Amino acid sequence: MPEAVIRIENVTKVYGTGEAAAAALSGISLDVERGAWLAIMGPSGHGKSTLLQIMGGLDQPTSGQVHLDGTELTRLRPAELAHTRARSIGFVFQSFNLLSHLTALENIELALWFGGKGDDRARGMALLESVGLAGKAHLPPGALSGGQQQRVAVARALANDPDILLMDEPTGNLDSASEAELLSLLSSLHGQGRTIVMVTHNPAVAERAQRVVHVKDGRIDKERFNGA
Amino acid sequence: MNLWKLVWRNLLRRKGRFAFTLGGVAIGMAAFVSLLSIGQGLELEIKKQAQGLGANLVITPKGWCAYEQISVLTGEQLPEAIPMSELDKIMAVPGVKSAVPYLNEKTAFRNRPVPVIGILPEEMRALQKWRIAAGRYFKAADEPAVVVGAAIAQQFQLKPGDTFTVRGRSLPVVGVLREAGNKDDVASFVPLPVVQKLYAVEGKVSFVAVQVEDLQQVDAVSLRIQEKANVAVVTDKQLLSSILSIVGTVSGAMQAVAAVGVLAAAFGIVNTLLTAVYERRREIGIMQAVGGTRRTLFSAFLLESGLYGLIGGVLGLLIGMLGAYVLGPYLTDNAFTASLRQSPVPSLDSATVLLTFGLSIGLALVAGLYPAYRAAKLTPVEAMRYA
Repeated sequence: MPEAVIRIENVTKVYGTGEAAAAALSGISLDVERGAWLAIMGPSGHGKSTLLQIMGGLDQPTSGQVHLDGTELTRLRPAELAHTRARSIGFVFQSFNLLSHLTALENIELALWFGGKGDDRARGMALLESVGLAGKAHLPPGALSGGQQQRVAVARALANDPDILLMDEPTGNLDSASEAELLSLLSSLHGQGRTIVMVTHNPAVAERAQRVVHVKDGRIDKERFNGA
Repeated sequence: MNLWKLVWRNLLRRKGRFAFTLGGVAIGMAAFVSLLSIGQGLELEIKKQAQGLGANLVITPKGWCAYEQISVLTGEQLPEAIPMSELDKIMAVPGVKSAVPYLNEKTAFRNRPVPVIGILPEEMRALQKWRIAAGRYFKAADEPAVVVGAAIAQQFQLKPGDTFTVRGRSLPVVGVLREAGNKDDVASFVPLPVVQKLYAVEGKVSFVAVQVEDLQQVDAVSLRIQEKANVAVVTDKQLLSSILSIVGTVSGAMQAVAAVGVLAAAFGIVNTLLTAVYERRREIGIMQAVGGTRRTLFSAFLLESGLYGLIGGVLGLLIGMLGAYVLGPYLTDNAFTASLRQSPVPSLDSATVLLTFGLSIGLALVAGLYPAYRAAKLTPVEAMRYA
């Protein structure tokens, strides 16, 4: 049995208090093996994104434990958590989330700096090259197409060579051609041994993952393995 | 990428807001700097005048206030309140090397006020070490003639052989003094008996400048004079410090007003940065997701604030010095300084420049604390919730 690089144990997340309290996650447990490609599906508002945020240490669970590569995230101080996010995790979001006043290259350099790599312009350029956008290095995100922006976001996620990529609807804002490009990029990243967890609404996108988990009412409703 | 680069890019994002906030800081600092430099220039000028007095003790009538003491330094018209008989008593006091009387009057010459100072020619020359630039010095202690200061000679185009008018009486100009850099440049000098007669104050003088034989004995000599003669005595240091304290109060009040401006500018920085934190909430969340620490975010906003202080301080210093040169003569035109005649030249020493930068940057950093704290306090999820 391969080791679990992400282990979620009996995690709950409640927003608000008292009568206004709403449970986004109600005791969910999930193991993600190293090198796996996992898709999380389910209706809107049932806790998919919350689960992904807790996995990546962006949000803290109300109860339960989150182990990432053997580290218990809920015990980390904010600065340690930030370092973990910088070095071990790469995030990709539906709306790209690039900083609009920086160039494509600078967005990647920002992540390199946060990861402790300092002012590494050459690595920034190499990363852009790897997603086929070396020619757009000095353009701001606003001058790029959605697909190009998302590839910059992927390059940024890869800046510090993390083992784990967490993606929230990465193809949600892309046309079908860009979607295909991104998926083939993800395939090759998966082929390099990276662990990918992505939230998606799109069954065709989920089809590319090895394993699909359905979340409903803050719990795992059902799961299946593609091609098994 | 590094902190400086990130902050610089952030600073220039909203150029209009950057310019207006910076303008507030620059204007506040400029007001502070110009008033500070005008005040310092004034002090320098007063110290220079005090040196020009050349006396260790100044004998004044009893009950003079500091306004009148200032006039001792400026050559302004003074009441003629010390009888010559007291002068003889003072000269007789042991330890007094010389006692030089001044009779400060004023005349109108070509519709301009000019100080006329009655002096004992030989005693005065010994005290002041005057040098003659043109013509000659007085030949006799009661010669009806005028020796004018360098600035007066220049102002009225006077040279030896010309005529000067004192209270309606024409007197020949016999000499022009070499420029001394003090009040003597802007006065006309006439032997004491002549002035006393022209102004009908025979036997009276305004004040007496005393030199002591031994500087260690200044206080003892001062006491002895007060025992023997019915006069008040101040040392040159007391005179200087009492005048400086008045000028200091005035320039202190001006600087307090300027400090209010600087403080208002600091609130401008707070406002601008709080707006920036609000606008950038989403990207604060993004930076946290990508691995930015709270410390980095805090530092970035604090540095942004500090740069307002640094740039504003530099601009303020430049504008302030410029303003001091342009406005200085008008601002210092008050009861204390109008009589200086020569407008003091604004002056800033390096310690003041450092103080200005320290104040500007320090205040800007303090102003940045709260916005920076607000930015660092945001959690990634709440920050990214804003589209």
